[in-house]
Amino acid sequence: MKLQEPGPGKWQLFRIWASIGLQSFGGGASTTLLIQRAFIDKHKWLSIEEFMRLWNLCILTPGINLVALTVLIGRKLGGAWGIAVSLAGLLLPSATITCLITVGFSSIQHLSVVQAILRGVVPATGGIMLLVGLNFALPLIRRSYKEGILYLLASGVLIIAYALAVILLKLSVIVVVLGAAFLGALFFSSKSDVPLLQQEQREQQ
Amino acid sequence: MINPLIYFLLFLKASLFSTGGFSNLPSLHQDLTGNGWAKENVFGQSIAIGQIGPGPNGLWVISLGYLTYGYLGAFLALIAITIPALLVLVISAGYTRIEHRAWVQGAMHGVSLVVVGLLLTVVWTILRQPGVDWKGLLIAVGAFGLASSRKVNILIILGLAGLAGYLLYR
Repeated sequence: MKLQEPGPGKWQLFRIWASIGLQSFGGGASTTLLIQRAFIDKHKWLSIEEFMRLWNLCILTPGINLVALTVLIGRKLGGAWGIAVSLAGLLLPSATITCLITVGFSSIQHLSVVQAILRGVVPATGGIMLLVGLNFALPLIRRSYKEGILYLLASGVLIIAYALAVILLKLSVIVVVLGAAFLGALFFSSKSDVPLLQQEQREQQ
Repeated sequence: MINPLIYFLLFLKASLFSTGGFSNLPSLHQDLTGNGWAKENVFGQSIAIGQIGPGPNGLWVISLGYLTYGYLGAFLALIAITIPALLVLVISAGYTRIEHRAWVQGAMHGVSLVVVGLLLTVVWTILRQPGVDWKGLLIAVGAFGLASSRKVNILIILGLAGLAGYLLYR
């Protein structure tokens, strides 16, 4: 697919990212969808293949994948300036609002009504987080299943072991992450030619 | 007293060794409670506010920053989650050359596994927040069920959970 529109101006880019940031409630999936709608469907500045290629790079990047995606799309559409205005657009308005909600919360958190509501909301976020974890695990399980039962078992045991290493042994998270990468390179080095992350990503979409 | 530089570096470290917006929680939990810079209950609070507020998932640390260190904390947290994302520029320059190496894929698989493990740790930390009892665990199960149906908006689930909390604990 050819690009059909001239690139955006800085201000326009800022506004698009700000509206994406402000409209995305309740997590990454909705943000990804909004980005696709804005840059692929509406303005045709990106093709879906390009989007997928950029997204694969973002999965490898530490931190929030969506912020990395913002950097890549910003660079493509406007160079260094594009990166700056895109990041500012996505993060500043939504971070400011998040901060203001926290300020408001701080001033009323002693109220018993607020405490009661929070005692309902906090465990609910725990349940939602479990789903986030399972969504991450699902493509891994599918892939492991294809590789054989031993592979599946080893993956499951390692996931639990990493969690316990942090919870019970109180090992530093960094040590656990680096250890996991090392063990992965040692035992999971795949012979297949298709990059693993692309497979996983395709299944996630 | 909080040392702003160390505080910032702790947030940056947690973000550099995480992926996906939430897996920086275990590291922050270890370091901030270890230094006595955060009370246990601020983690549940900031995750909850992060879910309610706009923007990508990882913005819960803005809330954590404010609750532990005021506006400066929120600002430092914002910088700390932005910097690691810039590494994608380095990765996009180098990764295509090494992505087909077997050990790279193996290491990535290892990292994907540990991310799931870290998310389980996040769930554990949240469900062990002060004030979460067996009724809270039932709410967690209900929220999980509603969320996995994919038919109910997250904000509605949180609203229902808040209503349940109001009715159960007021």
